[in-house]
Amino acid sequence: MAKLPVTYQTTISGNVVLLCRFLRKRGFSLGAGEEAKALEALSWLPLTNEALFIYGLRTMLAKNRHQFKKFDEFYREFLEERSKAANSKKKEDTRESGGREMEARNRQDEFERLKNWLNLHQSGDAETIPSYSGQEVLTKKKFSDLDPDEMKLMMRLLSQLAHQITHRKSRLRKTSMNSRKLDLRRTIGSNLRKGTRIREFVFSEPKEKKLKIVLLADVSRSMELYSRFFIYLVYAFQNAHDRIETFVFSTALHQVSDILDNHDFDHAFRIISDKVPHWSGGTKIGSCFQEFVREFGYGLLDKKTIVFILSDGWDTGDPLAISGAMKSIHRQSRRVIWLNPLAGSPGFSPEAIGLKAALPHVDILAAAHNLESLKEAMLRIR
Amino acid sequence: MKNKELDQISNMLKEQGYISEDHIAMSLFLAMELHMPLLVEGPAGVGKTEIGKVMAKALGRELIRLQCYEGLDSTHALYEWNYQYQLLYLQMQGSGNKDIKELEETIFSDKFLLKRPVLRAITQKDNAVLLIDEIDRADEEFESFLLEVLSDWQVTIPEIGTIRATSKPQVILTGNRTRDLSESLRRRCIYLWIDYPEFEKELAIVRTKVPGIDRQLGKEICLFMAALRRMKLEKIPGISETIDWARALAAMHMSHLDKKIVEDTLGVVLKDWQDIRHVRDTLSELLEKTGVISKIG
Repeated sequence: MAKLPVTYQTTISGNVVLLCRFLRKRGFSLGAGEEAKALEALSWLPLTNEALFIYGLRTMLAKNRHQFKKFDEFYREFLEERSKAANSKKKEDTRESGGREMEARNRQDEFERLKNWLNLHQSGDAETIPSYSGQEVLTKKKFSDLDPDEMKLMMRLLSQLAHQITHRKSRLRKTSMNSRKLDLRRTIGSNLRKGTRIREFVFSEPKEKKLKIVLLADVSRSMELYSRFFIYLVYAFQNAHDRIETFVFSTALHQVSDILDNHDFDHAFRIISDKVPHWSGGTKIGSCFQEFVREFGYGLLDKKTIVFILSDGWDTGDPLAISGAMKSIHRQSRRVIWLNPLAGSPGFSPEAIGLKAALPHVDILAAAHNLESLKEAMLRIR
Repeated sequence: MKNKELDQISNMLKEQGYISEDHIAMSLFLAMELHMPLLVEGPAGVGKTEIGKVMAKALGRELIRLQCYEGLDSTHALYEWNYQYQLLYLQMQGSGNKDIKELEETIFSDKFLLKRPVLRAITQKDNAVLLIDEIDRADEEFESFLLEVLSDWQVTIPEIGTIRATSKPQVILTGNRTRDLSESLRRRCIYLWIDYPEFEKELAIVRTKVPGIDRQLGKEICLFMAALRRMKLEKIPGISETIDWARALAAMHMSHLDKKIVEDTLGVVLKDWQDIRHVRDTLSELLEKTGVISKIG
């Protein structure tokens, strides 16, 4: 490209607006404000030197490293598309329908793959799923049947974990009788109220920052081996920390915090099993998460909330729904931690469709197939 | 057509000993013309902080630097009352029954106010250059606080009221990507990514910063650094390491690299012991690659 595709100032502005639109489709988050600023910058850009012109647009429109590095490529792509569109509108139309066909074909492929997977795995038992072999099976018994000692150990571990991750020292300070750190600001403030004399000192210590936890536990068929263990885990969590909300999901979402709070474990487990009609059925992670975001997201999620998801990520729903819902969960919360029982097996890679879709929006993916892995995960989460 | 101003900036930077590239000059130019904060990201040691310093020097403005760290809060960034003075003042007043309200007004006046960098920058007579270094080390809370200052250019101090900016400083933020910065902060800034320099640029930098260096040595150093950066290292050395090394070798009156001298001075370049060990093990190969080995034979 030796010269710019347009010659008039107004057309350039128009093209920059189109460029912004084009970049938005490529994942740039450009609001009206950024667009306006870019247009403002236009009057300062040298129109005769294309390299400098692009540098200018790049520094205005790219907002992170990825966008910065890819900008050139996107810009060329944009120019190409523009000139194509100008050359023949017809051409673009066919191209677009071609694109649509491709998309449809891709979807079909995906569907086929999913179908194959379902046929393959639904015919057999849960144990025939490849990733369930080996050590997972060996520990199966342990999961389904924790003895009281182990239960106690786990409770202790989890209350430690819950405490660790939810209690952080804040920068804010609070008045304290025990601290030896003199707080001059408070000393002056409180003494001045009573007169001009300093009569007493005020001490302070860092305030504790309390975080909330939201647990989303998968109780579908593919998680059958683990769900009892997971409910243990959830139960222990729920009782270790008072600012926690628990949900279980398979094909639908159920809030179970109250049940876990008010009953002993076996009783709670029975109630939940009864209450959740699709206990150990198929999974619709996407729609469940969407429901969670829609119904509870506003009240429960904020920057003081850590979201734990306990699931293997096998899903029969739409992966797009998962990634969409996960994106908003991730955006609205402090951290998203995905505990996956399969992540413990040596050859693990996040292959499950649901997990794959969710992965970009997960801060930490950790194994949780037994107490040992849980301890390890704890260390990483800190 | 503002090519002239753009050239001026390039020259200005050059005069201050900062070897820049067109795209860096362009970002600085737009940040200045549009009065927008400039967010500079890149690996450690590529001259991000230097941009702020050089810019202040070139413009003849005061540089106000705010080094960010975890736990940085408004008492360190914005203002704090000088409690010691306040206490002293109160004690001196003693029992002289003064009106408390009047007293409050006195001890919460400008005289007892310690201005921290951000407040200092916006109450400055001339536009200062405010360098907010390593913003990604500060907490998210601080980031949102900063956002407020950067968009409204005013600060509220409960005891005094709202202080409006008398001048808008040129703000430069730098980051190492230790934490992802919020979208809203990014959107308010002009963005610039600086990478490790190409061989020619680095050589030019070395020759500017270490004027007395042997021509051949400078070339070899830069070739070696480029090869080093292609290795898988824990901590990839930046330009500052190159300059330090060049200075050290120039001070020793070396005219070229050889294996022994590299081995002995590796600590100037690499700051991680595993890296040092790794490089030492592959040193001959590395020197061969950079074409320095012939000197040894």
